[in-house]
Amino acid sequence: MAYRITENCRGCQACVRPCPTQAISGERHQVHVIDPQRCIDCGACGRVCPFGAVLTPAAELAQRVKKADWPKPLINHKTCVSCGLCIQICPVSCLAFEYVKEGSAARGFPILVQPTACIACGFCANICPVEAITMRAGRATPASP
Amino acid sequence: MSGYMGKVLWVDLESGSFLEETIPEKTYRDYLSGMGLAAHLLYEHIPAGADPLGPANILGLVSGLLTGTPSLFSGRWMAVGKSPLTQTWGEANCGGNFSLAIKKCGYDGIFFKGISKKPVYLFIDHRGIQLKDAADLWGLDTSVTENTLLERHRKSRNPSIICIGPSGENQSLIAGICHDFGRMAARSGLGAVMGSKRLKAVVLAGARPIPVAHPQRMKALCRKPAKLTRFRIPFPAQIMALTGMLLRNPWIEIRWDGLMWSGILRKWGTVGLNQTAIEWGDAPIKNWAGTHQDYPLRSSNNLSPRKIAKLEDRKYHCLSCPLGCGGIMRQQGESQAAHKPEYETVMAFSSLLLNDDDQLVYEISERLNQAGMDSISAGGTVAAAIEWHQQGIITDEHTGGLKLDWGDGEAILTLVKAMIARQGIGDLLADGSKRAAERLQIEDHAAVVHAGGSELAQHDTRLDPGLALHAGVDPAPGRHTSGSFVYYNFYRLWAAFKDLPRPPLISLKKHSLIPSKELAKRAVGTAMFTNFYNALGICMFGAYLGIDRLPLFNWVNAATGWSLSPRDYLHIGHRIMTLRQLFNIKHGVSPKDIHISRRALGIPPQESGPNRGNQVDYPAMRRMFWDQIGWHPETGIPTQSVLIDLSLDDRRF
Repeated sequence: MAYRITENCRGCQACVRPCPTQAISGERHQVHVIDPQRCIDCGACGRVCPFGAVLTPAAELAQRVKKADWPKPLINHKTCVSCGLCIQICPVSCLAFEYVKEGSAARGFPILVQPTACIACGFCANICPVEAITMRAGRATPASP
Repeated sequence: MSGYMGKVLWVDLESGSFLEETIPEKTYRDYLSGMGLAAHLLYEHIPAGADPLGPANILGLVSGLLTGTPSLFSGRWMAVGKSPLTQTWGEANCGGNFSLAIKKCGYDGIFFKGISKKPVYLFIDHRGIQLKDAADLWGLDTSVTENTLLERHRKSRNPSIICIGPSGENQSLIAGICHDFGRMAARSGLGAVMGSKRLKAVVLAGARPIPVAHPQRMKALCRKPAKLTRFRIPFPAQIMALTGMLLRNPWIEIRWDGLMWSGILRKWGTVGLNQTAIEWGDAPIKNWAGTHQDYPLRSSNNLSPRKIAKLEDRKYHCLSCPLGCGGIMRQQGESQAAHKPEYETVMAFSSLLLNDDDQLVYEISERLNQAGMDSISAGGTVAAAIEWHQQGIITDEHTGGLKLDWGDGEAILTLVKAMIARQGIGDLLADGSKRAAERLQIEDHAAVVHAGGSELAQHDTRLDPGLALHAGVDPAPGRHTSGSFVYYNFYRLWAAFKDLPRPPLISLKKHSLIPSKELAKRAVGTAMFTNFYNALGICMFGAYLGIDRLPLFNWVNAATGWSLSPRDYLHIGHRIMTLRQLFNIKHGVSPKDIHISRRALGIPPQESGPNRGNQVDYPAMRRMFWDQIGWHPETGIPTQSVLIDLSLDDRRF
């Protein structure tokens, strides 16, 4: 399964830059193509396309969302178990551990270190085993650990 | 396809070519993923009698079925292949984040065959698969290798690296595969297999998410174990030694609850058990010939959980683990921050050798991590060498003038360095104690404490005879993680399988020494369960919570969309265990010829200490185990009826 670009594409190349796996190719002003072998279904292309030319794997039209309104991970450190799944699954490496003192040693809790790099894919929230991450629009601020 | 990726990658190092193989769903239903899938593929693809260090052997790196799904404790990966150390099925289990990295590349496993003409490393990212020149990396320590590769691939997203150090390159038969600057897939000598293939490292930087059938169901199942692992044990470190003293009695045995162990792991890591094990009789002292009196509290206080905790800078969590039993040490002097040593390493280079210099233990732990050498086998080998030297079996001529004495830290460090560099007597010892005894033509093998050629870990088989049984009957001999009677208590299998016995809370110690059908049933249940969770990528410390608290069966059903019963999954564990046994038989290994050292069985029994008088009737226990699991009680060869039951009757051997 992969995202797909339709004939509505004008070749503006807006989708090329946010694609974390460089799966989109095409000449300027020509219809672009998504390599299904490379596509990881993050949906970034659909969120930026100004011409409604991207279909989701379920063949639905992807909705464009203003970048300022992209949902970002809100991480509840009280629920978090520091398992690191969110950090490792993030396709743009925008999460990292912040270490907080616990006894004589410190324990890591994930924070959004590069908010502008986040592509709102929601992989982190999907994989979190303890439901400590919710995707919220606007500026993400983690709960205090 | 959910839970697993549905493909494996074959890398032919001879030709430099790659082949993606699609695995049918039936194979996953029969073997799951991880070690099960590996057993299925390696049984077929490694020709009978293959030289473990030759081109026909295959090195597999496998993920787990639950890895990358919303589950806990599911971040383990395994290295598999034919072991050059034991000539049997070989496997080594490791944490870190490499298991998910395999799946993010779109595979459930990566398998290497052939031998490269020059040193190479494998690099995979979203652009494709490449074998890259590793000539400049050959000879480097593991951390330098990882740092170099991280710098080289700094534009990649979350690259995950495994590599060998000089030990693997030198094909030391006790070499392991290193990951994340100090985690190690150490056992079975698979680092030597990687070295023989001239494969220096694997760098994975894929970005695929893992498909899951019912993610919300999986998350709901996580609530209970996540809550339980927050349990904080309410006592200080000083009580750990006292606990060992209280447990040190010749009569009574307590059915331990793994929940307590989880609390200890969360607070101190595996080193939390250091002093308990020494006082209790769990940690072998002076190459298994001594007792706690040879290594009193004033020695072990240097290695107390409290003291080690003070040196810990931050907790290290393997992927998807809520406990975080690992740790990164504070920077000391000029040395870089290193991983906190594990219990096995600490005991192997302290109580086993009567060394009470904690700084030396940290230094050796780090040196072995940098060299990529298994600390369990290295410690056992050094112990044998000291004993031989003390008895005059080897002389200064053999050691190049090095005086080997119990507790002599300087000599121990010198010997370890020689083993890493394969210099002088170190060259002989670098292949483990059994090979060294053979090459030195030492007739009395009493000082070699092993099963099937692999040194035993730091848990006394005379205290828990189940450890001896499993170390001998498991197709990868000599491993302490394959099972024990204590693990059976932790796993609480009776909660899901009414036909498996529920041990009493308090029992007589001698009962675990007398072979019985009930003990055999417990051991067979443990073996099947261990094979099952090794196919899922589950950490054994997670499994310690017990099957009624860690919902493994329901997690697999929710991840895959299947609706198999716990009994079905145990049946799969049985199939994997039996197929690994068939692997050995195919390669000419007679199960009855896998021996375990007499000293580890209490022959002759110790005259003092917590395990005094304890003798393990291993032949009788093994016979009952084989009978119970459906293998011939005298030969260990699976019977035709069990092969038909497990749908393995088409396997030729």
